[in-house]
Amino acid sequence: MDGDVLHIQVGDEAFIWRLPDLSVEVEADQARVSNRRDPDARLVLPVGEWAPLAGDRLTEKVRSRRQREWWLVGGLTAAAAGVVLFVTVGVPALSGPVARATPISMEERMGDSINGQLSQLFPTCKEAAGQRVLAQLGDRIAAEADTPFDIRVRAVDAPMVNALAMPGGRILITDDLIRQAETPDELSAVIAHEVSHVEKRHVMQAVWRNFGIGMLLDLVVGGGSGAGQQAVILAGQASELSYSRSAEAEADARGQALLHADGLSSEGMAPFFERLAGKGGSSELDQAAEFMATHPDSIWRARAARAAARPGRSALSPEEWRLVKATCAVEESENPVDRLKRRLRLGDDAPVADQRIEVRPH
Amino acid sequence: MGDNDLTDIIAEGAPEEGTPETLTFTTTLEPGRFLGLSLKNGLLNLITLTLYRFWGKTEVRQRVWKGVRLNDEAFEYTGRGVELFIGFILALVVLGLPFLAIVFAVQFLGQWVVFAAYIPMYVFFGWLWGFGTYTAFRYMASRTTWRGVRFQLKGSAANYGLYFIFAGFLSGITMGWFWPTAERALAEKIWDEVRFGDRRLRFRMGRAQNEGVYGPFAIGWVGSLVGYFVLIFVFIAVAMTSGMFEQTGSGAPPETGVAFVLMTYAAMLLLAPFALLLWSPYHAAMMRSVAAGVSVDGATFRLNVKALPLWWLTVTNLFMLLITLGFLMPWVQARTARFLVSRLTSEGTARLDLVQQTGRGPGSGEGLADAFGFSAI
Repeated sequence: MDGDVLHIQVGDEAFIWRLPDLSVEVEADQARVSNRRDPDARLVLPVGEWAPLAGDRLTEKVRSRRQREWWLVGGLTAAAAGVVLFVTVGVPALSGPVARATPISMEERMGDSINGQLSQLFPTCKEAAGQRVLAQLGDRIAAEADTPFDIRVRAVDAPMVNALAMPGGRILITDDLIRQAETPDELSAVIAHEVSHVEKRHVMQAVWRNFGIGMLLDLVVGGGSGAGQQAVILAGQASELSYSRSAEAEADARGQALLHADGLSSEGMAPFFERLAGKGGSSELDQAAEFMATHPDSIWRARAARAAARPGRSALSPEEWRLVKATCAVEESENPVDRLKRRLRLGDDAPVADQRIEVRPH
Repeated sequence: MGDNDLTDIIAEGAPEEGTPETLTFTTTLEPGRFLGLSLKNGLLNLITLTLYRFWGKTEVRQRVWKGVRLNDEAFEYTGRGVELFIGFILALVVLGLPFLAIVFAVQFLGQWVVFAAYIPMYVFFGWLWGFGTYTAFRYMASRTTWRGVRFQLKGSAANYGLYFIFAGFLSGITMGWFWPTAERALAEKIWDEVRFGDRRLRFRMGRAQNEGVYGPFAIGWVGSLVGYFVLIFVFIAVAMTSGMFEQTGSGAPPETGVAFVLMTYAAMLLLAPFALLLWSPYHAAMMRSVAAGVSVDGATFRLNVKALPLWWLTVTNLFMLLITLGFLMPWVQARTARFLVSRLTSEGTARLDLVQQTGRGPGSGEGLADAFGFSAI
């Protein structure tokens, strides 16, 4: 060792290493010295021999390495913050315009595709007369809606109290929901709400939002299944939920306006939400719980709906109402094995969710 | 005459100089010293939305590698976090984005396209998994040095991927019974292509087969089958006695459903150690078999892993990962490396001083492996 220069003699060969080029790794009893200018060369010494040679002259090196690490962490944290900002602000802000710019034909084709998949899971209810009444009710409510889509309402057999609007204007009402509805006004309120989703292109917005958020988060976390990576994905889903709330509120308000435009009563909306939000009997509790999972603020929505409600004509005559109620097979007469399957949710993982394309639930 | 034939001749004893060395593995790893690193990596992963994972993984490897010694010289891991990061970005651009685009695009097309597009895609992904595994090993080998000399993994990742699908398919139609053969063949495809510098390691299937794996496999297979039926029997018995069936038929209260799910998870957690125990003889035998197949020059290897200690290692690792939500991963890795290295011995000699340095290897690494969540360490 000569000042800042390390002389190494190996047999006949001499090496001159300058201290500023060197870095050292210490493990147990050995020190391993590397030279930036000769990347493959290593000098391995017992720690006891290395320490007196270099003294503390390499501590500066360690400090600068720490500093680089801080910069790295800072940069990565900033990138992460950018992603969070984009997910929470950028994607939702973009999803509206992008949805409105999506060609009608594209949305219709997507609707056809999703419809094909959902039809496998949720078969259409059999009674044609009831279906016809439902379809006509949908047409009447949609008459005042500003949408290029052909609104097609139908009842399906599905193990949940729900209604959903698909891209392209198809609306599904589940048999359980029809059973839960006590008056035609309640049912028409649900349909008006779904028609508003279609009109506002909320479904398409959700599709783009899910696509954007899902893609971005996948990009960040990769395919890893670590706890941290799962946490990020969960957070993404939570932020999605908050957008859907504002869309629900918008659809409630617009749905009531559509009913008013046709002179129909909008008083059915609030009681329906209230009943589902917690007053269900014990056998309905699990269904209510499911409804609450996708509609966490039903009580608040019921309050808003009550404030805006106006009386009007009933949407259906008693005879029409009877037909609608009879559209789907009565549950009690079903095969008990099928009922058990439904309860245990067997064969109930909708492929649509896997593909990150979500249909807007009621 | 290719490069391979040359090294073959040398390896098989053409006259050449050099000092034969016996190979002795030792380790200075103390898992307890990885606790601080575990905490650091865990916290940094949290605040960077896991983007730090490439650098964290690199630091763990550096520390593990330097804690493993051959003839009292430590291995060194020379990879850098940024290389893994670039590999990840590359995999993303080349594969991730097109994949997402396809998944998204088929939604706008007819229903038949969904099936037509998905089936070849899944086969392709099976191949890609094998391909990604191989390239990850290639990267790791190229970043591992001993006495300053790099390892390298030659061979074709594409072929490995093909064999991987083939092996998966045959294992499927034989209800798993082809898998031990496949696993050994997959190990051969990797180890026979590893080089230390310019010196080729060999994998001799004959030696590997001296260590039987089908007996232990039968223990696992038959044991699982029996266990499965016993479980179903117990489940039905419990359900009958508690009258669960009648309740479900008339609309079970939701609490039953939740309790049922929780109970299922608890049962799975409690059963996991037993399932692992059934399979630990097989896993231990496979590790011994693969190690026995590898040689370099005249040196062969023996990995003295027994079923019970391996089982205990696995169970305690999983338990610690579970209760720390994955934070202790570096500790688990150090502990596992220590477990293996302290059981690795070698017989015969190798002339390691003749080895010449090789090229630098791939510039980035493991993008696919990261995308699939695969990692050897």
